[in-house]
Amino acid sequence: MTKTYKLPIGPAHVGLKEPVTAWLDIEGERIVDATVRPGAIHRGIEFMSRERNPAQVIFLAERICGICSFSHSIAYAKAVEDAAKVQVPVRGQYIRSLVLELERVHSHILWLSVACYSIGFDSAFHLGMALREKVMDVLEALTGNRVNYAVTAIGGVRWDVTPKVERVVRDMVAYYRSEFHEYYDAVINDPVVKARLRDVGVLPTGDAVRLDALGPTSRGSGVRADVRESSPYDAYCDISVKAIVPQDYFGEVHGDVLDRFLVRLLEVYQSLDLLESILDGLPEGPITAFPKPVAGLAKLKAAGGLGYGCIEAPRGDVTHVVELEAGDENVFMWKVRAPTYANAQAWPLMFIGNEIADAALIINSIDPCISCMERMVLTDRAANRQGVVTKDELLKMSREKTADLRRKMGKC
Amino acid sequence: MDMLASAQSKKNPTSMEIYADKKVNYKTPQEVLEFLQSRLGDAVTETELREYKEGVCQYSRWHLLLTVKRESFLSLVDALGELDFPHFHVTSGSDDGDTVRQIYHFSLFRREGRGRELTVTVTVRVPKTDLVMPSLHGRNPGVGFSEREMNEMLGVAHDGQPNTDLVFLPDGWDRTILPWRRDETGPEGKGVINELD
Repeated sequence: MTKTYKLPIGPAHVGLKEPVTAWLDIEGERIVDATVRPGAIHRGIEFMSRERNPAQVIFLAERICGICSFSHSIAYAKAVEDAAKVQVPVRGQYIRSLVLELERVHSHILWLSVACYSIGFDSAFHLGMALREKVMDVLEALTGNRVNYAVTAIGGVRWDVTPKVERVVRDMVAYYRSEFHEYYDAVINDPVVKARLRDVGVLPTGDAVRLDALGPTSRGSGVRADVRESSPYDAYCDISVKAIVPQDYFGEVHGDVLDRFLVRLLEVYQSLDLLESILDGLPEGPITAFPKPVAGLAKLKAAGGLGYGCIEAPRGDVTHVVELEAGDENVFMWKVRAPTYANAQAWPLMFIGNEIADAALIINSIDPCISCMERMVLTDRAANRQGVVTKDELLKMSREKTADLRRKMGKC
Repeated sequence: MDMLASAQSKKNPTSMEIYADKKVNYKTPQEVLEFLQSRLGDAVTETELREYKEGVCQYSRWHLLLTVKRESFLSLVDALGELDFPHFHVTSGSDDGDTVRQIYHFSLFRREGRGRELTVTVTVRVPKTDLVMPSLHGRNPGVGFSEREMNEMLGVAHDGQPNTDLVFLPDGWDRTILPWRRDETGPEGKGVINELD
């Protein structure tokens, strides 16, 4: 008789606004159903904004996510600027897009590397992490920080792109153009990677639309949607962006982890082209609408109304909603919708029919952080037994599956 | 494999067309506003069409804001669904005294190419004496987290949402405390903030 086990994954998860627990119903090695329960460490960050003015909330917004901190703070700033009818100078808009693309490069290379690590392709993991250092150095040269760049200001940005920074960014683009292909070739041409990721964690096109999936998760399912294309903002108004979908490059859509992998891989190259175009077109002028912050705060205090900001972050579109009340210096209402808020609802579907050894890979495929695998309790209710499967054991299972596949394919 | 068939779509069927194989009924922002006004009539009580111009070339994008009566909310969503599958972003909300505002953020035409997306924000004021909204679950199963969040944070129930479990608050949370409310049911009213201090 087949027994169904309940297997919780999570809840601790550093990479999300909301940590996630995934309860998997398993029969043998196969996942037959799944339920997602977020919110183990809800920080009440939106509530905290009620006692802060719009400039102070920038620092909260930057700390929603460690990887895409800039995306959150820019979506938030756009929402405030919408509510207060503030126009950002064009140079400020371009610098925002520049940093967003740098952030996308570092986020995607990180994700690609960790995906390789989780299937036991360590050499690609190390190569990817070594390559990622370059963009982290550039972010540090521009802002002084590797994460939480503190570039955002309501009405613009805080740091200008000097000729020296421009040279550093151009050098980085040249570096990736000559070096990134090594990583690309290593993973694209590896038959084991293809066999390991193909048809795992499938999200069909229709379900990606129906469940409101976002970013590379939905584009990997063939949904041609990218906010930079469909609703251009900042520098993307002048520079055309085309959503990257697998059918345009490989002729077909599988909606699996490999397609999500390929979309991110190609988006790194797309970002390099965009960075170059942004620097080529960088207009002269002020970088902020409020050179004197006090004047900015006074204008924001006098403003009232609902504002909306939505931009394409590395994981999908980030939506922020802000409401200001005229005469009140604090933010009246703030709502944050991180991409994982939407994408996590597609997890149950991706799990069904896959093996436990793929659970880490599937969770990772929408680009949260692998550390949510840290704690996993295996329960056999019928036999009243309980054991703990650690992150290491889960990772070992994933790597053993790759090694087994490699043996079967005669690759070792 | 058939990319449109799946276990999930059988589990969570949606009555709305997703325009996977069918062309959307594209309209300009002004035409969308006129279409909704003709369909909903007096049920749409406030409208605003915002244009944003950015970049050196001052490229335009649009945002349509509507306020609708609760009883016509589903009709409005269905009307949006005649144009394109309304992609759901999130629900925001606020305690306004006698009413709780529910603000639904949708977008249309996001798969239709450069600059065609239209952001649609729909506001519904729900009286505190009858804090129930019709659920969009049957139309757009991606609303699950938001409807549950609005329930636990502001106390708004959703008629038709099969899952009423907590989503972001911890297990064992006292559900009479509604964290985003500004009245006696909120953290200040319940004295939770002082207790923590």
